[in-house]
Parts: sequence; structure tokens; C-alpha cells
Amino acid sequence: MVSANFAEAARFADADFAEANFATADPAAAVPTRPEYLPSTVQGAVKILITGPFGVGKTTLVGSLSEIAPLRTEETMTAAGAGVDDLTGRPDKTTTTVALDFGRITLNPRLALYLFGTPGQQRFWPLWDDLSRGALGAIALVDARRIEESFDVLGRLEEQRIPFAIAVNSFPDSPSYPEEELRVALDLLPEVPILRCDARDRRAAYDLLIDFVSHLHSTSVLELPQ
Amino acid sequence: MSGPVRPYVITGGRSRPSRNVLALESLVSTAPAAGLGDLPDLDADGTGLNREHLRILELCGELLSVAEIAAYLSLPLGVVKVLIGDLWDLGAVHVRPPVQQAERLPSTLLEEVLLGLRQLR
Ligand SMILES: Nc1nc2c(ncn2[C@@H]2O[C@H](COP(=O)(O)OP(=O)(O)OP(=O)(O)O)[C@@H](O)[C@H]2O)c(=O)[nH]1
Ligand SMILES: [Mg+2]
Repeated sequence: MVSANFAEAARFADADFAEANFATADPAAAVPTRPEYLPSTVQGAVKILITGPFGVGKTTLVGSLSEIAPLRTEETMTAAGAGVDDLTGRPDKTTTTVALDFGRITLNPRLALYLFGTPGQQRFWPLWDDLSRGALGAIALVDARRIEESFDVLGRLEEQRIPFAIAVNSFPDSPSYPEEELRVALDLLPEVPILRCDARDRRAAYDLLIDFVSHLHSTSVLELPQ
Repeated sequence: MSGPVRPYVITGGRSRPSRNVLALESLVSTAPAAGLGDLPDLDADGTGLNREHLRILELCGELLSVAEIAAYLSLPLGVVKVLIGDLWDLGAVHVRPPVQQAERLPSTLLEEVLLGLRQLR
């Protein structure tokens, strides 16, 4: 039975909130901070996914772009792949927890952009429907030293018809393949752009994101009915 | 207060939000208390709002996305969606749905995104 108004409810919850365990994407930065709210003028948000295989630089890229300290949230997934809806806690089902890192950019007083670092491994695909619904597109990070680890995720992006671009992250010992060689190795359609970046560098990360959205824009203009 | 509870306890065994239209980037804020009166019972069985519902109301004094709420409260996304769905049904939170490309010409939305990014760069 609850018969408190919202103000009372809020006061009641205050003690809990003060103890809240704030989850930041960087374990070293797991210091409780007050939430960084959006301006109240923001009317809605859009999102872009940052995906790629293990250790390719997703969290780093999200961090370079985000105006807030990147946050981490978790989703429960049954090992059987039944998706995110099964929270019945039946002991015969094993559940795995998937971490998602994300960041935010307030683009203007009315519009915000969220960036979701999305694991690319096949076992996380049950989460992709939810993550990709309504996304403007996805940036698929590729490590040129281990191109084959990106095959799964590129196949998935094509299957789900998510507009995407490749971003080759430059690691010190990366071989520098010419673009055509990469395109063949990754079996890309001609319209998929291959971009380069250093995910650690804010300016390079912004240039990558701008190039990607420009690409989406030019494609959407082409698709407009005449 | 008690220690951690398993997700299905928090959501009363329900796994789906009552309105299944919350996205990770849906924006949520607590409705102003004024004029809203008492919170009705959540369930016919009198389960009512639990402490996690109340934590969401407390957190969302200003605008945050569903994903941010889940991160700040250290709750799984699926659980948070169910709880926000409850609060939404009660009118206890306002929800601003994601901006859909279909609402505008896709190129206008993308132009707005580009302009914002170029200015921030
Ligand atoms: N040289 C170089 N190193 C990078 C770059 N991007 C990321 N790194 C490094 O690569 C390592 C892995 O980066 P993360 O951002 O954690 O990769 P991730 O894709 O989030 O990894 P998982 O979440 O574990 O799949 C870190 O040590 C980064 O500092 C880059 O562009 N250049
Ligand atoms: Mg990561």
C-alpha cells in the first residue's frame, strides 16, 4: 500500500540514493558523483552504436567522444540466447551479464546523441535488436592486426541492415594495408566507407564521427524519393 | 534496508514493461509533485511501489536516459525498463521518446546532428 505523494516518495528514497553505487565505465573512476543531467530543453535523443571485437577500442572511442564520464550498464542475457526478457530467475537457466559502455553528446539545446559501445561477439547478438532499434547507424572498429575477428560483427550489421562504416584503429604495430586490400579482406560492399582513427584522440574521434554522419547524410539524400 | 535482491524480485516476476516502447535513449524525468495527489497502488494485490521505483523518482528530478538511470542505480537495463514502465503508467514520470528519423526527413535530422558535432569539434 503506497499513499505517499511524489515529494514524500523522493524523501523516502533519498537515503538509498546517497548510497547508490555509481557505475562508471572506468573502474578506476568508480567515485560516486552526482548525476550529470541533460538540459531540460532537450526534447529527445538519437543514438549511434560503436561496435567491434574484444579489445578493439570501443570504450576508448566512447570516452573520447562523450561529454560525461562514460557510464557502464549491464543487461542480463540467458545463455540459451532467449534474450533479455527472461528475468524469471529459474535456476535451470544460466544467465550471463553483458556490459555496455555508453556516453553522451548534447548536440544542441533540443537534441542529444548517445553512443553505445556494443560488444560484437556472436553470443551477444540477442541484445542487438534492442540496441539497434532506431539507431542512426553503427561504427565498426577494426584492428588491422586481426581483421578476421571483425567478420562476425560485419555480417551481423549487414543482416540487420544497419548503416555502418569501418573505422580502422591505428595500433603501433598495425600493418598499413591499402584501402582496396582491406575492402577485399573484409568483403565490403563499395558503399561502405573505410575510415581511420585513433580512438584515444578526441579530435580524431570527432573527425571520425563527423565523417560517418556525413556519409549517412549523403546516403539518405540519395534515397529520398524524387 | 535489505541487501541486494534478485531482478525478478524487484520486478515482481514481470519481465516486460507494461508499455513496451522504452528505448535505451528514451529520456525520463519525474513528474512534478504538485497536483498529482497520492500514488495509486501499483498492483491489484497491493504490492505497491518498491524502493527501486522510489530511487528512480528521486534520481530523475531532471532529465536522464533509461541507460543512465540503469547505470546510476546499478540495475540491469531490463529491470529498469519494467520499473520506469510502471511509473509511466502511473503518470509519475514523463518520458520523451527517441527522435525518429521518420518524423522528419532523414536528411534534416542528420544535418542537425552534423551541425552540432561540427560546432563541438
Ligand atoms: N594505439 C592505440 N591504442 C588504442 C586505441 N584505441 C584503444 N586503444 C587501446 O586498446 C586497449 C583496448 O581498448 P578498449 O577501449 O578497452 O577496447 P574495447 O573494445 O572497449 O574492449 P572490450 O570492451 O574488452 O571488448 C586499451 O589499452 C586502449 O588504450 C587506438 O586507437 N590506438
Ligand atoms: Mg570496452
